Amino acid sequence: MNNETISIIRQGRNSRRRRWVLITALLAVLAFALCCAMLLLGNTIYSIDEVIRALLGEQIKGASFAVNTIRLPRMLAGLFAGFAFGIAGYTFQTMLRNPLANPNVIGITSGSSAAAVFCITVLHASGAVVSAASIVAGLATVTVMYILSRGKSFSIGRLILVGIGIQAMLDAVISYLILISSSKDIPAAMRWLGGSLNGSQLHELQPLVIAVLVLSPILIGLGKHLNLLELGEHSATSLGMNTDKTRMMLILISVFIIAIATAATGPIAFVSFLAGPIANRLVGRGGSNIVPAGLVGVNLVLAADLIGQFAFETRFPVGIITGMLGAPYLIYLLIRMNQKGAL
Amino acid sequence: MKSTHLFQAQQLVAGYDHKAIIHGIDLAIPSHKISVIMGSNGCGKSTLLKTLARLIKPMSGTITIDNEAIGDLSPRKFAKVVGLLPQSPIVPEGITVADLVGRGRFPHQSWFGGWTKRDYEAVAEAMDMMNITEYANQHMDELSGGQRQRVWIAMALAQQTDILFLDEPTTFLDITYQIEILDLLTDLNRKYGTTIVMVLHDINLSARYADHVFALREGKLVAGGTPTEVITSERIKDIFGLSCSVITDPLSGSPLVVPQGRHHVQEASSSDSNRFLTK
Repeated sequence: MNNETISIIRQGRNSRRRRWVLITALLAVLAFALCCAMLLLGNTIYSIDEVIRALLGEQIKGASFAVNTIRLPRMLAGLFAGFAFGIAGYTFQTMLRNPLANPNVIGITSGSSAAAVFCITVLHASGAVVSAASIVAGLATVTVMYILSRGKSFSIGRLILVGIGIQAMLDAVISYLILISSSKDIPAAMRWLGGSLNGSQLHELQPLVIAVLVLSPILIGLGKHLNLLELGEHSATSLGMNTDKTRMMLILISVFIIAIATAATGPIAFVSFLAGPIANRLVGRGGSNIVPAGLVGVNLVLAADLIGQFAFETRFPVGIITGMLGAPYLIYLLIRMNQKGAL
Repeated sequence: MKSTHLFQAQQLVAGYDHKAIIHGIDLAIPSHKISVIMGSNGCGKSTLLKTLARLIKPMSGTITIDNEAIGDLSPRKFAKVVGLLPQSPIVPEGITVADLVGRGRFPHQSWFGGWTKRDYEAVAEAMDMMNITEYANQHMDELSGGQRQRVWIAMALAQQTDILFLDEPTTFLDITYQIEILDLLTDLNRKYGTTIVMVLHDINLSARYADHVFALREGKLVAGGTPTEVITSERIKDIFGLSCSVITDPLSGSPLVVPQGRHHVQEASSSDSNRFLTK
């Protein structure tokens, strides 16, 4: 009866699927190459053989220290944080149907940073306390925003506007805290202002690695739910989804994962903002692009870090480079959305 | 053939933000029929539909399906029996027609895994029914308003529910496409016995396409029955505050409302209309 129709649909879906697989594979290969470059490049360039042997635990003069203590943690921090920023940013943007609706833009990251800077400069805390505070503050910020934007019924436009306002307020708080802090606290506090992979240490990465390994499968599994939320409140509900519950779950997981990543590397500017749109542009829409978005995040962070380390006379932290990439895109997006009247 | 369900509302009060818009409605939706909810702007038609479709929680009263309160059913289970096409659904950017129709399969799918054979069949059947197969792999933004509306209905069809609610499915469409959509919905009802309940703005199209009409005024149900029973000039005056003559549609035999404005009315118009009625 409708076998012909089925084969037309199947053809279309298969060709989109093939594209998804191809792009995802290419992104993974590129990410792997960048990981290798992170291990191979540095002040001294060791041979591939030396690097591998150092990684396997053999003691090689110079190489062991450089690779295991400096380059490997730096690479892992970029890898996991990039993936975390990518998938969490994509989740937010897709769920709220707006590329501006992003932890970077709507103040969630600022919430985490403000709490961390407060802990460092006022309470003189460090380590796990700071990380925990930043996670709690990220969740608190999103809760406040959600309540403020809920009003009569949930409105995405309101959420974004409230978020931008909160972001400005929190940034003012951070500036004030930095201003009154003693100079010895400033280096630790600065990490929360601009993302950097400098000085990452293996044991500090543990929470991030665990969070990404545990939470990203859940986010990936919620891909179908995310796609449905894109149809709007009414359609999603009538297709049998509890929208409030699902949205809450997606927000909690994304904020948690992003706060942990921020605790490890600082807010690497615009990665969570850029990853989703780039992945969508490369793969096309229809299915869930959460995995490609995560990989784009990895590639952005690692590539930007390599550029920051080696492309200029001075070394720049990764956040400066991604900021230079992201800011023009933000402006472009605002202009385009304004033209479409979507703002 | 779709299953028969007893879908009832009793003493239903509903609205937004503690402000009731629907004030105590009792109704039973006739199975395998096309029902139309009609009434003037702001009378609560859309609110009633949304409440029946579980988008709004009633303030009091009960809605039951086969004597089970709809609030007690899991969202998924409800979505396998009752579907709704909202008034202005949101098109995700860059999505293809087939993928959008496929979203209607959500209540039948597991978290992981792709489409099953059943999913493909349901999507293909829905697309054939709505004549949108040729656009299957095009993007939604390439289609016209009428074509898009058929895609949305196909998405609701892919959900394969016994009962389908539609909130003004013909708004913003040219008359040709309005008729096309209503014909397709009638095909659907005749072929599968799908119970259809929709809000329509146009009284005359309601009269022609409905088997059953619910007439609302200020949040209350003032009449329910076949179009011929419900649509009389007195009742139209009562519901819409519009003086009119009701004549028989020469094509369908259903009632046809001819509004009386202050202008362009020939003398003795009301007795004139009898000329058509007796014809």
